[in-house]
Amino acid sequence: MAEIAIGIDLGTSNSCVAVAEDGTVEVLPNTYGEHTTASVVAFREDGSITVGNAAKANIIHEPMRTIHSSKRLIGRYFFSEEVKKSQAVYSYEIVEGENHGLRIKVSDELFSLPEVGAMILREMKSIAESRLGQPVEKAVITVPAYFNDNQRQATKDAGRIAGLEVLRILNEPTAAALAYGFGKGLNQRVAIWDLGGGTFDISILEIGDDVFEVLSTAGDTFLGGDDFDDRLIDLLADEFMSKEGLNLRNDPYALEKLKVAAEGAKKGLSVENEVEIRIPDVITGEDGTTHSIERTLTSDEYAVLVNDLIQRTFKVCDEALQQAGVVARDLDGVILVGGPTRLPIVRSSVREYFQQDTKADVDPDQVVAMGAAIHAASLVNPAQEAYLLDVTPLSLRIGVLGGLAEGVIERNTPVPIEQTRVFTTAVDQQESVEIRVYQGESQEASENELLGQFAFSEFDKGRRGEVEIDVTFEINTDGIVNVTARDRANGKQASTRIALSSGLSEGQIQHIIKEARTDRVETSAEQQGQVLGAIPLQSIPAPTQDLVEVEREPNEGAEQAESVELETLDDRDTDEMEILASDGSQVGADADASDLDKNTQYVETQSDFQLLSDGEELALAEESLLESDAPQTETFEQPGVDLAETAGDDPEEQS
Amino acid sequence: MDALPATEIKALAKIIGELDYYQLLHLAPDASVSEVKYAFHTTSRNFHPDAVRHLEPDLHEAVEHIAKRVREAYSVLRDSRRRRAYDQNLAEGGGPRMQLAQATSQAERQATEELQGRTPQGRQYFHMATSALDSGDAQGAVRNLQTALTFEPDNEHFRDLLAKARAQA
Repeated sequence: MAEIAIGIDLGTSNSCVAVAEDGTVEVLPNTYGEHTTASVVAFREDGSITVGNAAKANIIHEPMRTIHSSKRLIGRYFFSEEVKKSQAVYSYEIVEGENHGLRIKVSDELFSLPEVGAMILREMKSIAESRLGQPVEKAVITVPAYFNDNQRQATKDAGRIAGLEVLRILNEPTAAALAYGFGKGLNQRVAIWDLGGGTFDISILEIGDDVFEVLSTAGDTFLGGDDFDDRLIDLLADEFMSKEGLNLRNDPYALEKLKVAAEGAKKGLSVENEVEIRIPDVITGEDGTTHSIERTLTSDEYAVLVNDLIQRTFKVCDEALQQAGVVARDLDGVILVGGPTRLPIVRSSVREYFQQDTKADVDPDQVVAMGAAIHAASLVNPAQEAYLLDVTPLSLRIGVLGGLAEGVIERNTPVPIEQTRVFTTAVDQQESVEIRVYQGESQEASENELLGQFAFSEFDKGRRGEVEIDVTFEINTDGIVNVTARDRANGKQASTRIALSSGLSEGQIQHIIKEARTDRVETSAEQQGQVLGAIPLQSIPAPTQDLVEVEREPNEGAEQAESVELETLDDRDTDEMEILASDGSQVGADADASDLDKNTQYVETQSDFQLLSDGEELALAEESLLESDAPQTETFEQPGVDLAETAGDDPEEQS
Repeated sequence: MDALPATEIKALAKIIGELDYYQLLHLAPDASVSEVKYAFHTTSRNFHPDAVRHLEPDLHEAVEHIAKRVREAYSVLRDSRRRRAYDQNLAEGGGPRMQLAQATSQAERQATEELQGRTPQGRQYFHMATSALDSGDAQGAVRNLQTALTFEPDNEHFRDLLAKARAQA
C-alpha cells in the first residue's frame, strides 16, 4: 500500500484535513460529519483539553480558558501591533515569553503558540487516522502566502510537536491553485483571492499544464473575517451603550456572546438579505436585571460596516498584479478562497475589481486542504504529477551600518534560491561581526521583521576592510530562511538555522514534546463518546469527493441554538436546507445548511451564563483588561551594526 | 519526467558555476521573454527537488543546487533591466554569475545615468538641449540632442527627447 500523507489547512477559524489517493481527493470529516473543525482549543478546569466545535461552544462559558484565532498570534513578537490588537479584543490572557515571544496563560499554565497549534493539528491528525483506519505521520501544512519566516517556522514547530513529519509548508493560495488546476492540462493565468478568518492573500499564478508558477503574491496577515466580526461587535456594543448605558466591552462573557452573534450574522448574510440578531441575557445590570439585544441587520448595513476592509484587499491586489506584470482583466480566472468569500458584498466587490465572474466550482472552505493533500501525495509517491514553482512573499534583508537593511533577495523571487554577499569588518582587529537578518520592504532596519541574528567570529583578524566574509542566504522550498557565514581566507563556516528571536529553541521544542501536554487533548471521537454515548464510526458516512464536484452534506443530529439565535427572516426549515445543500451546485445554498448547523454547536445550555454574576471571574477579567491597557515596552535593542559591505564584489563560486 | 541519470545530474551540479545563465537554461543570447519562461518550466520539470526527495541525499542536494541556480538565472533573464546589466557584465568578462541585488542596482544605476547622460559630453549637450526646450528653442534642442547622441548613440532617453523636439520644430 502506498504511504499515506495528509494535507492540513490550519486555519484561523477553522481547519480542514484531506487525503489524496489514486487521483481522487477526499476531505475527511470529523466525527460530527463536518468537513471543517473549529480551530479552537478549550482548557477545561479538570486539566483536559478539547479541540474543535465542542471547544468553540465553550467560548461563551469560559472565555478566559478558550483559545481561538491563535493563528493570528503564531510567530509574532510580544510588542507587535497585531498582538496589542488581539489583547484588546480577546478574552484569554496573552503574556510575554522569552525573547519577546508570546505565551498564552490559562490558570497557572503557560502555553506557547506552536503548542496550541499542535493541539489543533493533533485533532486533525486523529480525524484522519480514524477515517483512514491507520496511523498518519506525514503531512503538508498550509500557511498564508504572506507569512514571514518566523510564522512559518513556528507552524512547522507546531507540526513536530503534534507528532507529524512536516513534508512541506505550503502557501494556501498555491494549494488552492493546485486543487483547481491539477490534472486538467490548463494553460491559464489565474488570481487566487483568499480571505480567511484572519489573513488575506492574493497570488497570481500561471498554470502551464503540470507547472504551477506563482508570478507574485501579496497579502495582509492581519485582515480577515475576524475583522468583519469586530466591526459588527463594535456596532452592537455602541448601540447597546447608547440605549442601555452599559459597556459590554468590559464583560468578557458579553463580548464572546457578541462575537458568536457577529459570526452568525456574517454567515446568515452570506445567504440572506437580512438576519435577525437576538442575544438574550447579554449582560446582567448592577440591579440584577438582565438585558438583551434584538436587532435586524440588512446586507446593505453590513456592506457599509465592512466596505473599507474589502477595499483594503484591493490595494494589496494592485501590488500583486503590478509585481506580476499582469492586468486584472487579462486573467483567465479568479478563484475565491475562504469563508468570508461567501458574502455577496465580497463577491460583487471582487467581481467589480477584476472585471469578471469568479470561478464557481471551487469550495472556498476545502480547496486549500485538498491542494495540500494532492501535494502531500506527490511528495510520498515517486510519480511526480505537478511541479510547484513558488516565490518568497517578502524581501530578505541584512542589517548594515546606520540602522539600514539592505536587500539581498527581493520579494517574489522564485524559491528555492541562494544568494551570497561579501561583507567586511568596520574596525581594525575586529573580533566578530553581528549578522542580523530581516524580512520586509523597508530600507530602515527597524521597520522590518527581525528574523534573527548571530555573531560570526570564525575569521582571521585583520585590518578593517581587509577581512572578507561571504554571507549566504538561502530560502528553501518551505519559504524558510537559512543563513551561513564563511571567511573567504580560512574557509571556516558558521551555519545557522536563524536563531529565532521569538521562536522556540530546539531544546524548548524537545521539552514540549517530552512534557506531552498535547496528550491531554481529548479527540472528538472520545468527546462524542462522552456526550452522546459511543457512536460507531462506520455509522457516519464518509463522503468521497473528487476534485471538481464538491458535495457537502448537511450536518446530522444538529440541535437548535438556544441562547444565541440567528434566524434568517424567511425561516426555512431543515428539509429545505437539505434539498438545497444536496443540490450542490449552489455554494450559497450549501453554506446555508452547513453553516446554520454549525451555529447550533455553539451553545449547549443557558444555565452556564449565570457564571456572569460570579464576582471572582469578573474581577479576573477586568484585571486582565487593565493589564492590556498598560503601556508596553517596545524597545528592541538595536546595537551598533558591525557589517560593512565590500563594493560590488562578486562572491566566489561555492559549488 | 524523463529522469536524467544520477551521475549526469551530479556532474552538472559540479560544473554549474561555470555555466552562464543562457547555457544553464539552454537559451540563445537573443531569446525572447516567452522562450525564457518556457525554458524555466522545462528545466524545472527536469530538476525539481520534490521529484527526487525519495532518492539518495547527495542526489537530492545536487538537484536542489541546480534548482536554486536555475531560479537565479530565470530571475535575471526574465527582467529586461537586470538582463541588460547581466549581458554587459558577461561582455566585460565579469563571470557567469551575477547576484540578483547587484543586477538590480546596476540596472538602476544605468537607468539614472541614461536619464542624464553617462558621458560628460553627453550630459553637457543634453543639459543644453533641455534648456533650449525650456526657452522654446526647439531647433536648438534638436541640434544639441543630435550632438549628445554622437557621444551616446544608444541612449534611448536622448532619442525620445529628440523625437519630441523634432515634432515641435
